[in-house]
Amino acid sequence: MEVDWGIFAEQFARTFTFWWVILPAIVLGLIVGAIPGFSAANTIIILLPLTLSLEPEIGLIFMVALYASSRMGAGIPAILVNIPGTAGAAATPLDGYPMTRQGRAQQALAISFVSSVLGGLLTTILALIAMPWLSQVAYYLHSVEMIVIMIFGISLIATIAARDTLKGLIAGFFGLMIGYIGADVVYETPRGTFGFLELYDKVPLIPALVGLFAISEAFAVIEGQSILTKRGQEAMQKAGWDATIEGTVEALRRWWHIVWTSIIGLVIGVVPGAGAAIAAFVAYQQSKTFSKTPEKYGTGHIEGLIAPESANNGVTSGTLVPLLVIGVPGGATAAIMAVVLQYHGVTVGPDLFQNQPELAYGPFTAMAVTYGIMILTVLPLARYMSRITVVSTVYMAPIIISFTLVGSFVPRGYLFDMYLALVFGVIGYIARKTGYHVAAILIGVILGPLLENYFLRALRISQGDLGVLFSSTVVNTLWVLLIVSLFVPWYLELRRRKARPAGGYDDEGC
Amino acid sequence: MPDPVNDSKDRQDKPGLGAELIIPVASVLFSLYYFSTITDVPWTAQVSAFFVGSILGVLSLVFIVRSILRVRRGEATFGLGRLLEPVAYVPKRIVLFLLTIGYIFVIQWLGFTITTFLFLSSAMLLLGEGKKKGLIFCLSLVLSFGGYLLFVVAFETRFPEGPFELMVKGLF
Repeated sequence: MEVDWGIFAEQFARTFTFWWVILPAIVLGLIVGAIPGFSAANTIIILLPLTLSLEPEIGLIFMVALYASSRMGAGIPAILVNIPGTAGAAATPLDGYPMTRQGRAQQALAISFVSSVLGGLLTTILALIAMPWLSQVAYYLHSVEMIVIMIFGISLIATIAARDTLKGLIAGFFGLMIGYIGADVVYETPRGTFGFLELYDKVPLIPALVGLFAISEAFAVIEGQSILTKRGQEAMQKAGWDATIEGTVEALRRWWHIVWTSIIGLVIGVVPGAGAAIAAFVAYQQSKTFSKTPEKYGTGHIEGLIAPESANNGVTSGTLVPLLVIGVPGGATAAIMAVVLQYHGVTVGPDLFQNQPELAYGPFTAMAVTYGIMILTVLPLARYMSRITVVSTVYMAPIIISFTLVGSFVPRGYLFDMYLALVFGVIGYIARKTGYHVAAILIGVILGPLLENYFLRALRISQGDLGVLFSSTVVNTLWVLLIVSLFVPWYLELRRRKARPAGGYDDEGC
Repeated sequence: MPDPVNDSKDRQDKPGLGAELIIPVASVLFSLYYFSTITDVPWTAQVSAFFVGSILGVLSLVFIVRSILRVRRGEATFGLGRLLEPVAYVPKRIVLFLLTIGYIFVIQWLGFTITTFLFLSSAMLLLGEGKKKGLIFCLSLVLSFGGYLLFVVAFETRFPEGPFELMVKGLF
């Protein structure tokens, strides 16, 4: 399959004429992305009557613009109030929130916007060029290969838990066990559900996210009048447009970091089911591993914010590749797009590029145009958005609790999920107060069901033979890469310790 | 002869590890409960959970032993440490927690708008120690009604319905 650049250029110019569709989709996407419980997928489902009534091309542009902007929107509350809008932004507060507490919210938002836009734009173009090859990735990854990829994910826990590895591992494995709750996919036996029917379908991710991040944070911040440190409050008093410019320049100076971490997102996005959360944490881990100053991560380090934001926007274009080329959606939003296209009688696959190039290239050009419009409209808002951090906790904590709790009700419509969010809130509060990282627990909750599903499938296919875990060249190569990636940080740290005298940095990370 | 003043000061200076043991102990208890629910399933469905649960058990055990050794060496205590600090905020936190449970419990009858208004105003009054009542009343009203307009009317989201939502349904 060759890329026709003429059609692509024509399509690009044509997409610009649909700015009137893209602009409201951006506004809507930023809002739903920023509110926990409101995903792009859910919003597109709610708006299906509208999308289905539009021309397929316009409907597709609307969905893509909403999808891309919601990814960026999810990072805004993650930076400002330590509450990721979606699981894909769960790695963003690791360095984004400490920056906010230091009074650098405006810089952090600008860095997040520039990284998201550049990462998203670059991967959109790369996806277009490398589509024929990227689409093959999914063919080589079966259950056993996915097991190793999931173990890759688990190894991230150790990275997050830099201050006390033992505590980090306990938090991560505790999360994994929580992720195992529910009926197993093969035998459908309920396990660890405490008798609740609502848990048969696994632990829902939104209440876990809301509880671990939002509720626990709200109960923790009431100790002070503001979420900002004293220095942060002083810095916010002086903040002007120069802070936005500073953040933009800081991000642009690290353009290479944006490039390679967004490519991580693109490749992981192509793998069906892997998702933005895994991509963001993998990018964060790799960024820290190869950094000259890994000890600064978690304290408001710019690279620690760039990595997850570039990667989760890289996923956005990645998930569309298998959908358009082989008809397999890479994620929930891509699956809904497939449904809309099928409704209009459009068959996705290689023929689409010959028969209806405007639909085949359309999502990528729409994404590129969306990112272009987004940076112009959102960047100037960083200054005003950052003002939310000066709101007193007297008002902020109750608002966070009520709106995020209701957000956890939305995906399934169960009151039970609000109670579940509160339970996770208690776990998160204890974790925060006693030095266990809530992000490590969340990684476990995300990866637990995925790891178990692939494990069950692999063992069922091999009829219980554990040798299946080493049964192909691809899986053996992945094992070697896993071992290398575990030893490289240890080796690099050893070299760094030998190279420099003893000393450290202030750690304000949570 | 023991010096009660210095002993008390020592206890305050040393980190309290009791709170840090909550998550490891809860992890072990949960893993044991989980194992009890998978005894009857085929071994292929057990192996993954036993693998993760066993690692979690070993890690928790190492942490518990490490904590006991620190206490025995006199470096720490089994107190609740940072969990309850600052102590002055404990009553506020407990009342806020009870208000949150009340919010979830009542929302099924009163619906999103009324319950959110009641929760926001009572929680803000609690945290603000009864000051700025007028501002809190207006803010709660604007936020709960604004939330209704944004989520229920504009986004057509399935929020819990109550008397207010049913009453104004005809308008939107």
